[in-house]
Amino acid sequence: MPQFLIQFAQQHEEFRLPELEALATIENVQMTYNPSDYSLELWGKGSSWDDLIEKVKEHPERWPQYLHTTFKFSVVTFGGTIEMKDKPQIINRFSFTGFLGKIDLKNPEEEFLLIADYGIEPDSVVAHTFYMGRLVGNGRRDLIDKFNVKKRRYIGNTTMDAELSLIMANQALCGSGKLVYDPFVGTGSFLMTCAHFGAMTVGSDIDGRQIRGKGKASIYSNCEQYNLKGRVLDALVFDVCHAPWRRINGGIFDAIVTDPPYGVRAGAKTLGRKDPAKQATEPRMAVEEGVLAHLLPDYVPPTKPYEMTEVVADLLMFAVKNLVRGGRLVYWLPTVTEDYAIDDLPTHPCMELISNSEQAFGQWSRRLITMEKVADWDSKTGLGAPSGDMNKSTTSPKRPGHFGFRDRYFAFSAVENAKRKKELKEAYQKGGSEGVAAYMKELEEKKKNSQP
Amino acid sequence: MRLITHNMLQCHVKGCNANNFPLEFQEVELEQEEAEMNEDFLRNMLTKLEYDALVSTCLKLGINDLPATMPADAAYNDEFLQILHRVILETHVKSGKMICPNCKHIYNIRDGIPNMLLAEHEV
Repeated sequence: MPQFLIQFAQQHEEFRLPELEALATIENVQMTYNPSDYSLELWGKGSSWDDLIEKVKEHPERWPQYLHTTFKFSVVTFGGTIEMKDKPQIINRFSFTGFLGKIDLKNPEEEFLLIADYGIEPDSVVAHTFYMGRLVGNGRRDLIDKFNVKKRRYIGNTTMDAELSLIMANQALCGSGKLVYDPFVGTGSFLMTCAHFGAMTVGSDIDGRQIRGKGKASIYSNCEQYNLKGRVLDALVFDVCHAPWRRINGGIFDAIVTDPPYGVRAGAKTLGRKDPAKQATEPRMAVEEGVLAHLLPDYVPPTKPYEMTEVVADLLMFAVKNLVRGGRLVYWLPTVTEDYAIDDLPTHPCMELISNSEQAFGQWSRRLITMEKVADWDSKTGLGAPSGDMNKSTTSPKRPGHFGFRDRYFAFSAVENAKRKKELKEAYQKGGSEGVAAYMKELEEKKKNSQP
Repeated sequence: MRLITHNMLQCHVKGCNANNFPLEFQEVELEQEEAEMNEDFLRNMLTKLEYDALVSTCLKLGINDLPATMPADAAYNDEFLQILHRVILETHVKSGKMICPNCKHIYNIRDGIPNMLLAEHEV
C-alpha cells in the first residue's frame, strides 16, 4: 500500500482526522493512518537530512518516471523555520535523483517537498523528523475564502463561519445525487456549502423572516451569488417538531446537517404556549375583523422556548426516522465545559457515533457530532435517554452539560460583562481615553475568536 | 417551491392522518427556471417519489408531459429523466395555496416559500 504524508491546516485540529475519514468514505478509499505521525507520496523519512538522503536512496526505482518532467523542490517546515538563504543548499543535496527536466518554479508538473518537522512544542529549535516526497494534492483552503461570511450578501447573527460549514458538508458525505436537509436553516449556510459539493439541499425554519431576508438579501440571493440556484431546492417555514415531510419507507434524506439555535440572540423555539393552560384547542376569532385569526395572512402562531436537551433528543429521533440507511446526522451541541460528559449525548440503537470534535470557548464549548444510521428503524425502539432526570434536581443525578444551555450561557455573559466593566474602568484610570481605546481594540481581537 | 418538494409534503395537523396527501394546489402562479441536470439525484429520488400523486398534481396544473406510469427502465431512460427533471426541478410555484384534501387546512405559498406552520389549535 502506498504511503502518504498529509499536512493539515493548524486550526480546528480536532476536526481534521474525522474530516479525512469522511473524505476517504466519500471517495471510497481504503485508508489506515498512524495518528502519532500524523498529501504527499512519501519517498523517505529520517532523523536528519543525512539519514533522510540514505532512506530516499534505498528506492531509486521511483526516480526514472520523473526524469524529464518539469519540476521544483521546496523546503517546508512545520513548527520551526529555516532561513531562505539556507534552503538552496538543502535542495542541492538531493541532486542525486538526477532529474533532467526543466526547473519551473511557477507551474511545475511535479513538486517535491523536503520537510523538516520541529514538532508542536512552541520553543523547539531543532527539527526531529525529516521527510521527502512528491506532492500529490493541495487542500481546498481557497473554498474558505469563497464562502467567507464577510463576502456573503445575506447573513444573520448566528451564521456559521465558512471553514466549519465546509467541514460539516464533508462530515455529512455530501456528494452528487444526495439529498441534504437542515431543519434549523436560518440564513442557509449549510444549504450552500453542502450544495457546493454536489448535493441537493433543502431547509426549514420556524422563523420565516430569516428565510425571506430583507429586500434583495435572502437565502435566494446567496444561491445566486454562489451560482447554486439549481441545487438549493427550497426553504420552507415550519417547526421541525411538527414537520410535514411525508414518511417514506427507508427514509428521505441522505444527510441532516444543522446548527440548532442556542445563543444570546436566537434561542430555539417550538410551536405552542409556555403555559399549557392557555393553549387554544379550538380556532380563535381575530379581535376586530370577525374572522378566524389563523386564517389572516399575517397570522403567526405562538411559540415557546425549546430547551436544548429536548432539541437534541428530538433531532436524533427525527434523524432515526427520516435518514436513509448509511445517512448521516451532523450537528453542533453547545455544552457547559465543566458539566460535559461523553454520555450526555442521546443515543439510539439505529445510530452509531462517528466523531465528536470540540471547539472550546473557555467555560463553554460546542461539539460537532457526527452520527450514522446503521440499522433500519422500527417504531418500537426509542431513544436511549441521556443519564439523569432532567426535570429534577440540578446536582444529582447528573444533568447533561447542554441542559438549559441558553440560560447558563447568559450567566457566563453576565459575569463576563461585570469583569469588562471593571477592566474598562482600570484602563481609563491608567491611560485615559487612549487606554480605553487600546483596551477596546484588545477586546475586539478576543471577541473575534470567541463568538459562536 | 419546486414540484419535487410538494411531492414530499403532507398535511400534519394534529389528528389528520389519512387522505392527507397530496396537498391540492389552488390559485397557483407557476414559473419555469432552467437548472443543471443531475441524473444521480433523479435516480436517487425515483423510489422516493410518489409517482401517481406527481402525475395527478401535474395534470391539474396543466402539465401533461409525464407518462401515466413510470417506465420500467426509468433510471436509464434519458428521455424520461429529462422530462422528470423539467417537471420536478425546473417548475416552481411562485405563489398560491395548498389545501389538505382531508382537513382542508390551507398552506399559503408566498414568494416561492411555503408556510407550513400550524395554527395554535392544530399542534
